[in-house]
Amino acid sequence: MAGIDNIPAHALERMKGLRGASNPQGVFTSDFSVNEFLLVRKAGFEPIGLCVGSCIYHLGFQLAGWNSNQEMTTLSQAMYEARELAMSRMRAEAKDMGADGIVGVRLTVKRMEWDSKVLEFVAIGTGIVHGKGHQGFKGPKGEPFTSDLSGQDFWTLLHAGYRPLEMVMGSCVYHVAHQGLLKGLSNIGQNVELTNFSQALYDAREIAMERMQNEASEAGAEGVVGVDLHEGSHNWAPHVIEFFAIGTAVVPISTELDPATIPDPQLVLSVNS
Amino acid sequence: MSWFGGGGHGSDDAAAKALAQSRQEAWAYALDTDTLPAFVEQRLKAAAERKVPWLSTMTPAELLLARSHGLRPLATVSGTCWFHYGQSWTNGHVDGWNYAVARLKREAMAAGANAVVDVQMRTVHSPLAGSMDFTVFGTAVRIDGLPPSRDPVVATVSAMEFVRLLEMGIAVCGIAIGADYDFLGGYGSFGAVGSERWQVQRQLRAFGGNVPVRELTDFWERVRRQAHLQLRLSAQTKGTGVLAKTQFGQLLRVERDKQPPDYLGRHIVIGTVVETRPGDGVSHDIDMVIDMRDDLSPLNGGGRRDNDLEPNNEHIGGI
Repeated sequence: MAGIDNIPAHALERMKGLRGASNPQGVFTSDFSVNEFLLVRKAGFEPIGLCVGSCIYHLGFQLAGWNSNQEMTTLSQAMYEARELAMSRMRAEAKDMGADGIVGVRLTVKRMEWDSKVLEFVAIGTGIVHGKGHQGFKGPKGEPFTSDLSGQDFWTLLHAGYRPLEMVMGSCVYHVAHQGLLKGLSNIGQNVELTNFSQALYDAREIAMERMQNEASEAGAEGVVGVDLHEGSHNWAPHVIEFFAIGTAVVPISTELDPATIPDPQLVLSVNS
Repeated sequence: MSWFGGGGHGSDDAAAKALAQSRQEAWAYALDTDTLPAFVEQRLKAAAERKVPWLSTMTPAELLLARSHGLRPLATVSGTCWFHYGQSWTNGHVDGWNYAVARLKREAMAAGANAVVDVQMRTVHSPLAGSMDFTVFGTAVRIDGLPPSRDPVVATVSAMEFVRLLEMGIAVCGIAIGADYDFLGGYGSFGAVGSERWQVQRQLRAFGGNVPVRELTDFWERVRRQAHLQLRLSAQTKGTGVLAKTQFGQLLRVERDKQPPDYLGRHIVIGTVVETRPGDGVSHDIDMVIDMRDDLSPLNGGGRRDNDLEPNNEHIGGI
């Protein structure tokens, strides 16, 4: 679905008016705040346009044994694929704009009131280009880079000697086994660990993290910043939990900075009211 | 997406199932024997040897500062304990967090870390009765020039704060937890006329007058003080002070038949233990600035810390 052929005519129309190296007089659109805008500029980049990708996805069905710990592979796949589709559509839009990358990407999942099996995934961020047309900031395979870092963090990241490659993620939806009645009875009045629950969380989290790390390796990253682990249940039964790991894969711009050259920050007190 | 293992085709599917099964058995064995599954050991070892990309919860600014002070992120490490608090909710919190931290340390050791920074305390909000998961995760770091530690430091402060403290000669030494609960007049006590519970009842029913509820105040104060005493004891073996940012207290009322209600007070305090000498000054000047950040930042009174102690509502009334 992604690709220039599938971008609707009115979207192409809109892009023509956008600012770019070829059209410096154009109008840019962004969801930057003033400070974010200033710091992206300070980093040597110009915003061109807001990039959006979305995907409405119908989740498949999978049965889990009442008393078994297991990954819900159909759901894991669905959650991953839907996000990936939303992201790749956003990236396609950025590419058509001629953006070097997208910063401030927000990736959200919304429930639909009318059908619990349908989720909407939206990826939205601001496409930016290097002010002097430097080509070295593109992501893997010459595609625009993606990053969930804010404009402020983008500036800091470049300052730290790194550039963003792409948002990497890993998802694992897991069914946590119910406790048997006998086991439940034996625990009455006691403080004990429920090891099969602990085990389920460990397994799920580890799978999500490994997947994210694999993505980072494939992208040729040196590391991943801003890793966060989200846990959520998207209208599922209480024992079904999604673990979602996400972060921005980064590589050094040239060689790694010598620690001695990193300036010492100052202690400050904000006078913002 | 090779790692989804085939997606339902004959032998592929069977292989994926067998793999999932063996992973679960490995976890069960690891939790049982206080060890780590082989695949986790391998991942962390690869991270220690820099064969895989490092994973860090740090922001770019934290990364920058960490690097300038010789800290290198290795891997995101975590610990979980799903605990059933059949006997005591309050003590369950202490044990649950302590187990989780011990497991976090185990992963940090496998990665050859000296410390785990930015440790966040989380829980899955799940309606599974009478139990809760205690999860901690953070970034394992190696300090340049130090050999791997036998007992890595667990710091619930961000990498930024960790470095700032180090710079001022303050070492972060771990987590301390203090907790206490009590019933006014003792659990299941008979509310004899003249007992604390009757007095509270009388004061609460005072008609029209302003009355301080003395007994209840004293009781609640006692519970809090006891929790802080526990915190002190827990910190004593590790360092010289605690920065206790997480404070959670509840005073609950349980109605009783033909008697004044019971009161249950419970209080939990969690903090970062530090080692420092009294009177050590702060060696830096402080500049006044305008903060360019829009969302919450440590400067304008926010932060992204998300320590999670909320009780699940089903268990209100438990100790």
